[in-house]
Amino acid sequence: MNTGELGGSVVFHLGPLAITDTVLTTWGVMLCLAIAALLLRYRLALLPSRRQTIAEGIVAVIERAIGEVLPADAVRRVLPFVATLWIFVLTANLAGLVPGLHAPTRDLSATAALAALVFASTHWYGIRSKGLRAYLRHYAEPSLILLPFHVISELTRTLALAIRLFGNIMSLEMAALLVLLIAGFLVPVPLLMLHVIEAVVQAYIFGILALIYIAGAIEPIATQERPGEAPSPTFAKSKNKEES
Amino acid sequence: MQFDWTTFVLEVLNFLVLLWILKRFLYQPVLDVLDARQARIKAEMAQAEKLQDDAAALGKQYAERLAQWAQEREQLRQQLQQDLAQQRASGMEKIRQSLSDEEAKARVRNAATTASHEAELIRQAADQAYADVAAMLARLASPMLTASIVRVLLEDLAALPKEQRESLRSAAEKVAAATAEVASAHPLDDAAQQEIARGLAAVAGRKLPLAVSSDPALIAGVRIAVGECLLHANLLDELAFFRRPDGQS
Repeated sequence: MNTGELGGSVVFHLGPLAITDTVLTTWGVMLCLAIAALLLRYRLALLPSRRQTIAEGIVAVIERAIGEVLPADAVRRVLPFVATLWIFVLTANLAGLVPGLHAPTRDLSATAALAALVFASTHWYGIRSKGLRAYLRHYAEPSLILLPFHVISELTRTLALAIRLFGNIMSLEMAALLVLLIAGFLVPVPLLMLHVIEAVVQAYIFGILALIYIAGAIEPIATQERPGEAPSPTFAKSKNKEES
Repeated sequence: MQFDWTTFVLEVLNFLVLLWILKRFLYQPVLDVLDARQARIKAEMAQAEKLQDDAAALGKQYAERLAQWAQEREQLRQQLQQDLAQQRASGMEKIRQSLSDEEAKARVRNAATTASHEAELIRQAADQAYADVAAMLARLASPMLTASIVRVLLEDLAALPKEQRESLRSAAEKVAAATAEVASAHPLDDAAQQEIARGLAAVAGRKLPLAVSSDPALIAGVRIAVGECLLHANLLDELAFFRRPDGQS
């Protein structure tokens, strides 16, 4: 962990661009993931090795989790985005455990970028799924009066997405830093264990919320086309998770 | 809490690049492998189901063949039993027929043996009776009996049927010497010889000289030979007559 400020500190300048440690850590994370993906890619076989089994297990678990929320024909379309969110957020969260680094997700700029991507992808998948006009029409349903509330909801939930991840990871690192400063060298170790759990939980929450938002953009077609039919239990369960 | 637009934009780009990399080199290949494995599993399952169906069909066919073989075996066994029963009946019939033939042969053989024994016993009885009668008559024989027999002979000659009379005459004519040989058990007196000569002449139609001889074996009585014709008037020939089974003179 780094004992820096709340935002990322500028490491160097690349022309007009100020490269912060957040971006550098992100590049490192990207490099590690890309190397791992490339190594795995060229060793794939029908009879899997241990690494391939782990990778297949991860992808299959993610696919199954998405399949519980989305219709089957949309799973493969959404999987790359949601899976990348899960993997990247989890890796970025855990990067804070490496001495000398801090998690990119403790930077509001990074979490805001991720939230903005979720915001954009939600509309992208929604428009792709049911067309621009039909997608925009659902903001005025069941009444045009609800349009501002829908827009506010879209913006606030995106903001909440960014702030939630940023606040949790930043506060965790801050707490660990304070304990280290007050109590001593080895005392923050239990807190680091908590960091691992928090990293996993926050990655899961971020990904599942993004998935639910995307499902919300795709699913209304079915509910509008079949008004008498109740939403699927899985979808209802996911909604409850979001509310909790 | 600081917000840096450069970091924001770079993070967006970074994420999009990472999304492309992972999609290209992780998700798609892994999903392809999973799909290929799934397809392979499905194909193997289909193959296994096909093999199972084939095995079930073969098992059914095998069971049908077994049932058919059992039916054929049962038919062959029944046919064999019928053949054995027919052969047994035929053999029993042959044996029964053979036994019947043997029994008939034995019965015939027994009858022949019995008849032979009876004939032998009759012959022995006749011989014995002949011997006894001959012995008794030999004791009773006398010149007077011979004379009585000659008298009876003469009476029979006088009452001889015409055919026999013709035969005697014909036999007398064929004899060149034209003599009648008279064998007597006892000596004949002249009167008796003349009576015999007259009786013979009356039958033969001419006078026949007598050649009288003595033959004690005749017991009593005479035997007269005229050519091929013999006149038996003695006990020996009478006994021999009774001794003959057909009883012909």
